[in-house]
Amino acid sequence: MIARKSLRQIRPRALIVLIVLGLPMAFPQSTAEAKVDLVTLPERDRVQMTIYNTADLTLIREVRRLTLRHGGNRLQFGWANTLIDPTSVSLRALKNPDKVALLDVSFPPRTRGLAEWNIDSEIAGEEPVEITFFTSGISWNAFYLATLTPDERAMDLEGYVRVTNRSGEDYANAQTRLLVGKINLIDRIIDLARREFPYGLPAEIAVTPAAPPEAKVMLEEAERVMRKVAKEVEKKPKEIIKEALSEYFLYTIEGTETIPNGWGKRLPSFKQPGIPVVSLYKYDEERWGDRVLRFLQFKNDKDHKMGREPLPGGLVKVFRRIDEEAHLSYEGADTTRYIPIGEKVELNLGAARDVRVRPVLIEFRTDHFMFNNRGDVSGRDEYRTFRVEVSNFRSVPIKVEVWRHFDTVHWDLTNYGDYGVYEKVDLKTAKYSLELPPNTKKVFTYGLTTRHGRRAE
Amino acid sequence: MRRAKLGLAILGFLTLAATNAQGRIKLVALPERDVTIIRLDNPHVCFVEEERVLTLQKGVNKVDFSWKGVRIDPDSIRLRVLSHPEAVQLLSLSFPPDEAALVWEIASPEGWEERVRISYLLSGLDRLVEYRARTEKDEKNLALNAYMVLRNFSGEDFERAKVFLDSEDAFEKRIQNGETKRMLFFTAGPIPIIKTYTWDAAVKPHDPDKTLETVGIPVHYIVENKVNHGLGDSALWAGKARIFQDDGQGTSVFIGEDQATFTPVGDRMELYIGDTREIKVTQRKMFEKKVNVRRNNGNAVVLYDTDELFTVKVENFKKEPIVLTLIEHIPGQWDVEESNFKYEKETANRIKFLIPVSANGSEMLSFHYHRRNCR
Repeated sequence: MIARKSLRQIRPRALIVLIVLGLPMAFPQSTAEAKVDLVTLPERDRVQMTIYNTADLTLIREVRRLTLRHGGNRLQFGWANTLIDPTSVSLRALKNPDKVALLDVSFPPRTRGLAEWNIDSEIAGEEPVEITFFTSGISWNAFYLATLTPDERAMDLEGYVRVTNRSGEDYANAQTRLLVGKINLIDRIIDLARREFPYGLPAEIAVTPAAPPEAKVMLEEAERVMRKVAKEVEKKPKEIIKEALSEYFLYTIEGTETIPNGWGKRLPSFKQPGIPVVSLYKYDEERWGDRVLRFLQFKNDKDHKMGREPLPGGLVKVFRRIDEEAHLSYEGADTTRYIPIGEKVELNLGAARDVRVRPVLIEFRTDHFMFNNRGDVSGRDEYRTFRVEVSNFRSVPIKVEVWRHFDTVHWDLTNYGDYGVYEKVDLKTAKYSLELPPNTKKVFTYGLTTRHGRRAE
Repeated sequence: MRRAKLGLAILGFLTLAATNAQGRIKLVALPERDVTIIRLDNPHVCFVEEERVLTLQKGVNKVDFSWKGVRIDPDSIRLRVLSHPEAVQLLSLSFPPDEAALVWEIASPEGWEERVRISYLLSGLDRLVEYRARTEKDEKNLALNAYMVLRNFSGEDFERAKVFLDSEDAFEKRIQNGETKRMLFFTAGPIPIIKTYTWDAAVKPHDPDKTLETVGIPVHYIVENKVNHGLGDSALWAGKARIFQDDGQGTSVFIGEDQATFTPVGDRMELYIGDTREIKVTQRKMFEKKVNVRRNNGNAVVLYDTDELFTVKVENFKKEPIVLTLIEHIPGQWDVEESNFKYEKETANRIKFLIPVSANGSEMLSFHYHRRNCR
């Protein structure tokens, strides 16, 4: 059995400390004594975490109750061995914002991980303040579990988020929000957190690299925190409220979460049964050689019982129900991109064995030669005929796309047979879209004329 | 560790020749600084002016000024006599060997108190500007807080210094050696924002379906430094700008940061806040042919024109209408045959389209042009 240690003994490295030094500001020299004159060690009243997924960044907002004296107050904020960006720390009085003014923030010499706020207060007594800052080390990612019906015409999709805290700081009973979006950052928060001097040094002085903080996970302490809050855990799954904000989406998790340092937490984000899907197979020699790739296609819209929220990028594991007892088989996995509302989704499940596309060159000839003044060939046409055989060996209906690329922009095509829908995609690309019932084969041919040299002019 | 310190000592010599051999002896109490001014209006250099009151004796006085451990540019040091500029004369200035020090010889007709101003350029003390903006939820306006960050690694403590930036307003601060101090500089707002989305054909992939990640389209906020926009008093200095947005829940969300550039009054500050993934742009070359081919006597092609057509599909997945700024680059000499959207020729080879797209809608730009006299 491990002996119970005090909080300070267990985690001396990673602790945000906030101390009010209620001293008149007329004696700024008395810093050494002031730090002993500890007035309050206010606990966090409320914590809100906004976690970003495209950058290693979390915005923490905490509300603490300070006991202020009339006049000058100095407040010390320590973040040693956390991953907090000290330049991001700000403070705001909530009840009396006009009477409590933050005069300045000082990062004193010969100290690390410590800032002093000079606050001028026209009131004496308790004042709730909001402290915000950025930290590195807390992350979230989305992932999905999809289950296809046996006929592969529909899919149940479950979305999850996983939040992981490696910030060096425990966050108990925090309102947790996740931000989906690509923000611009000019400095990495981890780099700002590790700077020896919060704002660096004036350019001409050489910078001494700071030692990185220890990233040891404090399991005992984390377990203690977990036990403490275990009683407060609700038994029903929490809802995640999602709303658009600027170019981003904000997911707010119902209630509060406790995520001690070193721990992760998985939360359900949504569940949607019966999404109609198309089994789509693609053949594109330029991208995948002679393999046929299998895709699951649907759209993030109302027609597909979706369209309420964008889907953050993440790994989708796809299973299929194979019998009445709902046994599953694993079909494959793909990492999706970010899918906005209204956008189509194509999950790449890898190479297919039971769908085959075989284009074969069955005829080649040349004609319309042109000659220059010296009698050399200066232009010609080439004629090729391809036969494309598309086979569906599966017991489900499928859609197949056959992509063809040409190495010249001077071409013409003539299509024959069961080629489905033909589309010229761009200057050098054509596409055939076919639908095949179970266990069927379709064959089509196309005649390709390409013009070369002066024939192309 | 010995603290770096600026020292100033007056050595009053009444009998000049006799005392030369004794060297410099600190005779008089060190005069404390009276007023210190730190000027940071030049972004690269810190200029310090300090005033002290010297007790001069009749005759020649030696004033010793030393700056061990302080990063002063010795050639920039100047002394200006303020109380009796006509009567008191600066005779000479000399640097003792191997010391960060100098000695002024000052001749005074009377024994009196003399106010002097010593000025010098100082390294290791500078300022940064940092902005923190909060936009309204509808992104129509923002409120701006500008902070000044003083970094003092000059070797010298300044107990009470008047810090001047680029205006006549100063603020008084105590800043120790090794200290960094951040303070609110000014607040402004509400300031109207222009929000733009820019897709540049030279930068972004043309087929977003073939990329591994969803292609982001850069979003900028444009703020004008004008009086009727809540600003316009003075230039906005370059510095990091962090932008938050009101989230409608009583709190705010961080939505991105950028390095703001120096913005004079009347100019625009452009801040890249992040990428939108709610707009999709797909560009395709649909047609290209050599036309008007001209040949030399040997029948080789020497000149030709082209006939080209590209299409750009813009899809808007947002619930609000947008206007996309689309940038295209066409090399050489060219002219347009047909375009279904208006364009602006920004340079000889760069054109800009403004493409409005309705909420959840899409638009297709079709641009038919010729390049001329290609070789």
